[in-house]
Amino acid sequence: MKMLCFVLTCIFSTQGVFSERLQVVTTYPYIANIVEKIGADRVRVIPLARGDYNPHVIIPKPSYIAKLRRADLLIINGGQLEIGWLPPILKQANNANIQPEEKGFLDLSMCVHLIDIPTSVSREQGDVHPEGNPHFSLDPDNILIIAKTIADKLCELDPESASFYHANNAEFARVWEQKMKEWKDKMESIKGIKVVEYHKIYDYFLRRFGLVIAGTVEPLPGIPPTSKHIGEVERLIERDKILFILQDVYNPQDASEYLSKRLGVKMIVLPHDVGAVKEADGIISLFDEMVRRMTQ
Amino acid sequence: MRLKYFVFMLLVAVMPSVRGQDNPPETQIKTGSPFNQSKFVPDISMIVDFSYVSRDLDNTQFSMLSLPGLHAPIETSQGDEGSNAHRGFNLNYGEMSLYSIVDPYFDLFAVLHFAPEHAGLEEAYITTRKLPYGFQVKAGKFLSGIGRMNEQHEHYLDFAERPLVLNAFFGDEGLNELGARITWVAPTDLYLMLSAEILTGENEASFGTSGFSDQNGIVNISESEGPNLLVGYMRSSFDIEDAAVLFGISYAHGKTRMDENFSAPDGEGTALDASTDILAGNLTVKYIVDAIRYVSFQSEYMYRSTEGSFYNRDTSFTVEMYALEKQQAGFYSQLVAKLGFRWRAGIRYDLLNLNNVLIENANQSFPKNLARYSAMVEYNPTEFSRLRLQLNHDRSKYIHTSGGLMYKPYTEVILQLNIAIGAHGAHSF
Repeated sequence: MKMLCFVLTCIFSTQGVFSERLQVVTTYPYIANIVEKIGADRVRVIPLARGDYNPHVIIPKPSYIAKLRRADLLIINGGQLEIGWLPPILKQANNANIQPEEKGFLDLSMCVHLIDIPTSVSREQGDVHPEGNPHFSLDPDNILIIAKTIADKLCELDPESASFYHANNAEFARVWEQKMKEWKDKMESIKGIKVVEYHKIYDYFLRRFGLVIAGTVEPLPGIPPTSKHIGEVERLIERDKILFILQDVYNPQDASEYLSKRLGVKMIVLPHDVGAVKEADGIISLFDEMVRRMTQ
Repeated sequence: MRLKYFVFMLLVAVMPSVRGQDNPPETQIKTGSPFNQSKFVPDISMIVDFSYVSRDLDNTQFSMLSLPGLHAPIETSQGDEGSNAHRGFNLNYGEMSLYSIVDPYFDLFAVLHFAPEHAGLEEAYITTRKLPYGFQVKAGKFLSGIGRMNEQHEHYLDFAERPLVLNAFFGDEGLNELGARITWVAPTDLYLMLSAEILTGENEASFGTSGFSDQNGIVNISESEGPNLLVGYMRSSFDIEDAAVLFGISYAHGKTRMDENFSAPDGEGTALDASTDILAGNLTVKYIVDAIRYVSFQSEYMYRSTEGSFYNRDTSFTVEMYALEKQQAGFYSQLVAKLGFRWRAGIRYDLLNLNNVLIENANQSFPKNLARYSAMVEYNPTEFSRLRLQLNHDRSKYIHTSGGLMYKPYTEVILQLNIAIGAHGAHSF
């Protein structure tokens, strides 16, 4: 009887729980920040994963299920970045509105062009993504496409606020294009240089600003460096006159530190998402901080 | 006039094709069967588990071990021998799973379990995709959601085998039944899930549906047809900073009907007609230290109560009936930590703390406080391969001899290799 009362209380209290604002859940914080820019106070946005963790291996906390249960819209990065953690909790959320192919589901990888699509896949190649490199959000040009896609989706779900979302998107695009000029000017000084990255996570960013990726510290995606491979990277750094090793915040840094100390190349720890470092507290400051760390 | 019109129309119709000849359109010729359905192949994965076992007990003695009053020896229980049964090399199992979206309304999941000598359909169920108001239905043969670990597949366990209490109450293969389940997730900030299952209840360790009768027709208990077992559970979870706390309570109520040679035309036999209740609670606290490391504490307690009639038939077909009562309970607690990119380690303590078996109110004095101590270290080259070294010191098992129960503690070291290929779905928390 007590249990029944509890259940009934839960059911009836939902009327208070559901606010009129659109409930948006995003897998990563960068998506949440773009939604905030466009939806402002007309949406309530909740990111699931933390920005300073490995986006491939997020621990699917049961509390995420409660967040998904009440969502009107789920926005994912896609490109199989969430394949290791999202499917079971999305299934357990029992929310028909946000399942793939429904109106309340948006896969951002569908709106951008992915690079490095492998012609053949085998797990011999490590943690390979059959649909291409999923870290497309680090191309600043893609952010404009993503923002537009999100604005269109919000309009579809909440047509009454369509003009509000479009206006916010236009304003965001204006600010972003200004920022793009600023970043391109700053990055001009290091255009064409060759760099090594720990994991193939900054490829879109580096390509956009004309930098050359000479190699990776990990021998294969998701496989930690071996001494043999570090030896190869050492020779590569010396031969190609590599200036920077780009290290993410979540992988072990000892291999990059070793190479940096031994060969005198600079190791730069770059954020990859909003919240990865404390300076990157929004989508604009994320790119500000990446450019600052690359050029200082 | 009509002819002119016809010629004009003909020219209009032909013109595009004439123009087309100047600039032939690029046509892509696709080869292959027009009825190819390879894009609809379900997600298929295969998991294989091997081990090398070193144990201070020979294989024959090991096969005779039992938990008195709780779990029968391996050699008399149905099915295969279970994992790590032999000293030296073991091929424990192969597990093939198939998953696909059926149509807009259902998903289908099936698991084929292969032992070296035989194969079986371990699980096969559908789940709904589109029920409103936070409901989902599962139907078919599946692992019950009772407790915490019962639902997890063998390859996902943190240790080489299931905890003693799960083994004692549900057998080596867990509470795996034919039936249906409905779950409801509350639309609240706090995660709250309620679930009810209606199951056949054939599990031989706690339940059972067999009818029985003796030759003289003194006892005649019919087979219990239809759903025999009801399970209800709730789970809830919240986060404290970087720690996720998950807890749950479960309750099961079912009929227990067993026929052990009672209806047979010769020999001695026993039978049981009773009802069983299981009450269980579980707690998991997972503290995420950083992007790589975590520490996870998990514990489950289960209490089982059985009440009914126990029948004994001797070789001269004299049948005696006794009132039977059992109160049994146990728990496990484990601490598992991910220490590095590829390393995990853990310790576990198992205890069956209560083992009261009363026949006509006389306690049979079966041993209680049966314990096991385990420790393991894991090396995971990738998420698809795992090498685990586990040490068990088991102080819970006995051997039935002509002179009564013989206590048989033992120690074993298991080196386990678990490999997964194909498209295997991600695991839940």
